[in-house]
Amino acid sequence: MLREMFSNESTGSFELTHVLRLSEALALLEKGGTDIVLLDMGLPDGHGLDTVRRAHAIAPEVPLIVLTGLDDEALAAQAMKEGAQDYLIKGEIENRALPRALRHSIERQRMQSETDLIRTHQMQFKDEFLSHVSHELRSPLTAIHQFVTILLDGLAGALAPEQRQYLEIALRNVKQLDSMINDLLDVTRAQSGKLIMEPQYTSASDAIVYVVNTLQGAAKAKGISLEADMEHGLPAVYADPTRIRQILVVLVDNAIKFTPTGGVVRVKARTCDDDPDLLVLEVADSGCGISPDLTERIFERLFQAPDLALAGRKGLGLGLYICKELVTLQGGRIWAKSAPKQGAVFSFTLPIFSLPKVIAPAVLQKGRGGRCITLVIAELGSRTGWLSDAVRAEYCHRVRELLQRCLHSDLDVLLPKMGAAGAAELFFMVVVTDSTGSEAILKRIRELFNGREETLQEGLTLSISCRSIEEIERRASESADIYLEKASAQIQAMMSGEISSRMAINGR
Amino acid sequence: MGGKKILIVDDDPDICQGMRVRLEYSGYATCFAADALSGVAAASKEEPDLIVLDLGLPAGDGFLLIERLKTHPTLGVIPIIVVSARDARANRERAIKAGATAYLQKPVDNAEFLAVIRQALVAFTSVSLPE
Repeated sequence: MLREMFSNESTGSFELTHVLRLSEALALLEKGGTDIVLLDMGLPDGHGLDTVRRAHAIAPEVPLIVLTGLDDEALAAQAMKEGAQDYLIKGEIENRALPRALRHSIERQRMQSETDLIRTHQMQFKDEFLSHVSHELRSPLTAIHQFVTILLDGLAGALAPEQRQYLEIALRNVKQLDSMINDLLDVTRAQSGKLIMEPQYTSASDAIVYVVNTLQGAAKAKGISLEADMEHGLPAVYADPTRIRQILVVLVDNAIKFTPTGGVVRVKARTCDDDPDLLVLEVADSGCGISPDLTERIFERLFQAPDLALAGRKGLGLGLYICKELVTLQGGRIWAKSAPKQGAVFSFTLPIFSLPKVIAPAVLQKGRGGRCITLVIAELGSRTGWLSDAVRAEYCHRVRELLQRCLHSDLDVLLPKMGAAGAAELFFMVVVTDSTGSEAILKRIRELFNGREETLQEGLTLSISCRSIEEIERRASESADIYLEKASAQIQAMMSGEISSRMAINGR
Repeated sequence: MGGKKILIVDDDPDICQGMRVRLEYSGYATCFAADALSGVAAASKEEPDLIVLDLGLPAGDGFLLIERLKTHPTLGVIPIIVVSARDARANRERAIKAGATAYLQKPVDNAEFLAVIRQALVAFTSVSLPE
């Protein structure tokens, strides 16, 4: 019947292909060359709206017109939300109307694609512009920072107390400007999905201690008591330590801003009551609070508190937005609770590091005869006894990359960075192998590192050793979970032993 | 570290002067180049013990300069420290792969700057000594 409707059209204006099943239609769309689809929602291998979804997913740029029954207009409307350009009701299609509907749909789709493209270009331009401007701002700021610190450090002669005081104000503002530039860059990256995270096995308590120490001066200057309050023996999290500090700095800095003299700011960490896999970090203040209708909106980009008289200078309104991005990207959630004049509590969650989860593929490997698991320990040290943080981070990165290549099979795991143990840096690999296999691995690691002298040339040393884990008995009645827990506990104990013995050697 | 010479490659004269004051106060000698092209020439002529370089340079990118220096028969052993306004997270890996020893982001913390230089010089010297 449809063919008939096109018969009045001049030859060559439309070329019709008719298929009976959704699977055939999808195959045809995937091949390309189709300009428009007339899609029946009642195909034998399709299922209502899902038909539209699947066709649209496979060729989002090809316009779809849905064919539907008389009593199904509501469904057709939904189909348009799923990406259909138009709908036609079967039995009510007029001869002339059909080609017109097709032409309109094709044209609409083309206009939409064009608009999308323009929007993408505009976003890209804005991102590039912001990124460029921010970098350019950093150069003059660097020069100001250099010379202010040259004066402050007495490199150009002694300073009178008043001169020192003024230069310190200048330096504080330089640092503020620097952090604003970093915020701008972070926001640009967040929007283009390019925020880089380097998650590892790390301590949230350490981050809290760092931030409380860093901002203690600012709190004291305002007569505010800044305290850390942590549960004992908190588990490590799997997150980016620099980003945790960044989030806490924003939250504590805000808390200090909005709390009057004599107030208290507390930073807490505890395990989550509702979810044992999460750790909760909290920043609570005794400040002016937030009205309840704003507790969601404050995380929006460019949000500014309406009454900032107490807070002093306005910022860019990006801090909390960036926090939300950073928390979400690490698998957590952030929220605020408050009532006006009763202070505010900002909380966010981070995933607790789970050794069982990481090693499950290695330990629970099916059909593995003897359950031999070996812990390979690689230690990066320095002949000079001291490594700067930047140099250390870079060598660790290189060593990790090389170790990754030494893994025996897909099941072996190189554990995430486990935190520093004195001047040395430890890497752990959980490997499914017996003692002969572990000898082979050691040999392979040595060969790989020897072939790459440049990796370790800067006065660094690498030592490697293996510990095989005792046979862990698995009773027939026991579940895989229990077995995994046992193995994890053993590996964990060995690793802790290794780390604490290194710390003892290094006198920390 | 007295007497060690450091080549600074940066096209911003103010930043160069700031580095000069800071480094000379700590007992280093300094020399300069303002673009990627003259960077290699300056390194050949001055024979520095260490090179501090920026990434955004005229006449070729800083990465190119690192590669040129690292593949040079005699200059290849000189440790390179990148000090750039470009984001460390996005560029550190590439700089290190090209052969740089460390990557610092501007504005640089002075204590860290001096520590990284000292570290690189100590390591360089200890490697150069016969075992």
